[in-house]
Parts: sequence; structure tokens; C-alpha cells
Amino acid sequence: MFGLPWHIILPTLLGSVLVGAMCSSIGTFVVRMKLSSLGFAMSHAAFAGAAFGLMISAADPIWTALLFAAGMAATLGPIADLSRLQTDTVVGATFPLTMALGLIFIHKTPSSGIGSGALSLLWGSVLGITMGQVYLLAGVLAGLLLVLVVFGKAFFALLLDRKLARASGLNTGRAFYVLLFLIAIVVAVSLRVTGGLLIYALMILPASAAFQWAYDIKKVFLIAPLLGILSALSGFLVSLAADLPIGAAIALCCAAVFFGSILLSPKRWRPRGS
Amino acid sequence: MDRIVSLVDVRATYEGERHATLAGVTLDVVPSEQLAITGPNGAGKTTILEVINGLLPVTSGTVQAFGEPVTAASHALRARIAYVPQNLFFPPDTPFLVRDVVLAARFAKVHRWKLLDASDRHQVDRALAEVGLSGLAGRPVGRLSGGQQRKVLLARSLAQEAELLLLDEPTANLDLEAKGEVAGLVSLVRRELGAAAVVVSHESGALLDASDRAVTVDTGRVVGESTPARIPSVTR
Repeated sequence: MFGLPWHIILPTLLGSVLVGAMCSSIGTFVVRMKLSSLGFAMSHAAFAGAAFGLMISAADPIWTALLFAAGMAATLGPIADLSRLQTDTVVGATFPLTMALGLIFIHKTPSSGIGSGALSLLWGSVLGITMGQVYLLAGVLAGLLLVLVVFGKAFFALLLDRKLARASGLNTGRAFYVLLFLIAIVVAVSLRVTGGLLIYALMILPASAAFQWAYDIKKVFLIAPLLGILSALSGFLVSLAADLPIGAAIALCCAAVFFGSILLSPKRWRPRGS
Repeated sequence: MDRIVSLVDVRATYEGERHATLAGVTLDVVPSEQLAITGPNGAGKTTILEVINGLLPVTSGTVQAFGEPVTAASHALRARIAYVPQNLFFPPDTPFLVRDVVLAARFAKVHRWKLLDASDRHQVDRALAEVGLSGLAGRPVGRLSGGQQRKVLLARSLAQEAELLLLDEPTANLDLEAKGEVAGLVSLVRRELGAAAVVVSHESGALLDASDRAVTVDTGRVVGESTPARIPSVTR
């Protein structure tokens, strides 16, 4: 395909499918619970973590990305509580911090480590992943599905209304923190395919598009991964065909799916009350 | 147990607020009674409901429900209490069906590892039938009228098999006909469940008239208690 052998193409192809499914599934929570800025903060933290991994010549920068993203998940809530600021304000303050750290780490990376490694963290890389990393992604997806089942009832109630869920006796605080860590993990392991700057698009846009097609959250959870996979796969193919960075190509396809869904959404053409 | 709810000298302050919203509230709710809480806007009526189910921690005093102290972590206790918040209306694009909104009220009744079974679904169908919404079970909840949405929330109380209802202005922003329907349903739900109810309202009507007792709250304190018919008109 596109002059590249299958053993090179296959891992990224499979990786794109897995990342598309994962990011858009978790993105459904992010969109419905209006946590977009939080997802943005996580992706920047993961980027800074991966850059740190490059600087210290870690065996796989994904693990340092995971560490930074999980650290962000663990500290955002308590910082907001202690400082008595809105979570959004705290999240806003972390953007420049994590971005600056990421750039400093790349700047300090020995010249041998810069190049494709650093760039793939920013933009993603068509040839960035191996079959071993595909297995990791598949494992994370399986873990994600397991957690969604275990905490399914609490998550479902959270998506409906957080206050109502808490008032009905569910431990929404615990479910919310589990959700934050899931976002952190998904962002970190997806970094290599989409890049730290554009993973946000794969998380938010297919999920937002899915909400245009259904009034039933169960259907949204089926449609979002399908649109995520469609966006990631088409982005991958566009990237190969036009020789574009894969992260940017995926982001463009996500945007096309999003705007297409808005235009074609049955919600636009259905009168209220019907 | 002679009291379902007991508040003793409760003080509570919302985060970021300087002044206490509740400044020493003491009140009881006995089994099967409907207690109305009335008073002007900002008096602390909603706050009383929030401290009863532990949504707002108290700064001093004690809150007990069903003989147990209420804290933020009283999840099992909250599963016995149905709460209908003030002004909770689902916007038109809410991606939840009516049946699922009611089903979600059963979640705290079921162990985390257990899936909902046929009896849970039966309970939901029954609750929807009781409030007259069986025909709308598959509709998106956001497409229902305000009155119908209130009925959905009351159906949740039935599905939850609650022993105590906390209803915050359940008839606010509804037209006269819907107000009457919702007030009738509150009585029906209480009768079905044999539950006590604490109803916050600042307007007169069937809901207040059906109460056994009413307390008037002002500036975070209980300033009067009477039967509903004798509530001073200034607070109604």
C-alpha cells in the first residue's frame, strides 16, 4: 500500500483503529460532562511527559507521558479545592506550564534524541508504532471496557446529572476520579499515533459528532467509536496518500466528520416536540 | 425510631460564602408525615434539603436520617432518600430516554458487580405507569414538557423505593394544571411508598395544603411552625 510494505503499515493501521475507538469512547464522557478543557490539559501534560522521557532517554516515552498525565489527573481536583478556584481556571493555568515544560524538555534533549522522536510526539507518526505497542493499545482498550462495565452504573448516572447521581446514593466522587485517570491513560497511550497537540481532536470531535445522531446515550456510545475509527483510518490513509503528518490528517478528518454530522444531523431537521 | 430526620442546631455555609446559610436550624420529621418548608427566597429552604441528604456538609450541629449520622460519604443512606432538585429541567438535546432516567434511580440499589435484572425493569415500568408516562418511556427526556419532566423525577422516587422524599419546589415554573397534577402525584408516591416527605415551597396550593405540618424559615433559622392553613400569607 502506497509503496510501503504491510509489516510497516499494519501496526499503524491497527493502532489507528484502536486509538480511534478509545479516544472517541472516552471523549463521549468528556463532551457530555463538559470536560473539554480537562482533556486538553491532559493531552498537554502527556506531551510534556513524553518530551521528558525523550530528554532522559527513557526506553519508551509513553510511560513518562502516562506519569505526567496521571499526575495531572490526580492533582487538578485537589488544587482546585485548595485554591478555591474553578477547575477551569486551574486547567487554564496548566496549559502554558505543560507546554513550556514540553518545549524545555525537547530543547534539553540530547541532539541524538531529537528528530523523528520529538516530532512524532507533536504531530504523530505514520511509522511511529510497533506491533508491541498495538498489543499495549489493545490491552488498554480491553481494560477501558472492563472499567466501563464495572463502573457502568455510576458513569451512566454521572452522564445524566452529577447532582442527581450523587443524591441517589452513588459514589460519584470515586467514579469521577476513575474517569480522570482513564482519560489520562487513553491520552498517554494514544500519543504516538496522533501526537500530543492533536489527540484532543480525536477525543472531542467524533464524540461531539455522535451526539448529533442520537438522543439515546447507549446509541451515542456505539456511534462515537465508529466515527472515531472512521476518522482515524481515513486520517491514516490521507496521511499516506498526501504525505502529511498523521496527527494533522486525523484532526482534519475528525473535523470533516464533525461538521458533516452537524449538517446532516436529524436533530437539525426534526421539529421540537416530535 | 420515632424520627426519620433530626436536625439539631445545624449551621451550614456554602463554599466561598462568608455568611452561614443555615444559622442554627433544629427540626424533626416523623414517619409518614409531609413536612412543608416555606419562607422567602434565600431563607435557606433548599439548604435544609441539601444537609439532610449530605450534599452540603454542616459546619456545626448534627444531622441524622433513619437514626444514622449523615455525612458526605453516606452513600447507602442516600439510596433510601429520593431528591428532586429545584429547577432541574433536561434541555431538549439531553441524550437520555425517559425509561433510562428512571432506571438510573435503581443503580444505588444494585451492587456494583450486578447488572440490573428483569425485576428492576419491572419496577421502572410500574413507576412510569403510576405517573402516567408509560407511553413516553422511549421518548428523549428533554423533549418532554416541564410538567412531564417533574413526573419523570417523581417516577424515579418510586423506582428508587425511597423511604423519604426531598422535594425542592416541585411545582415551580409549571402551569396551573401541571401544578395540580404534580401535587396529586406527590400524594400518590407517598401513599405507594409509605414514605415521609419534606417539601420546599414558597407558593400556596395543593402541595402545601396536603402537608401535615409546615415550618417557616427565614435568614437561616426556623421562625415559625404551624399547620399549612395557618401559615402567614407573607411567607407564602
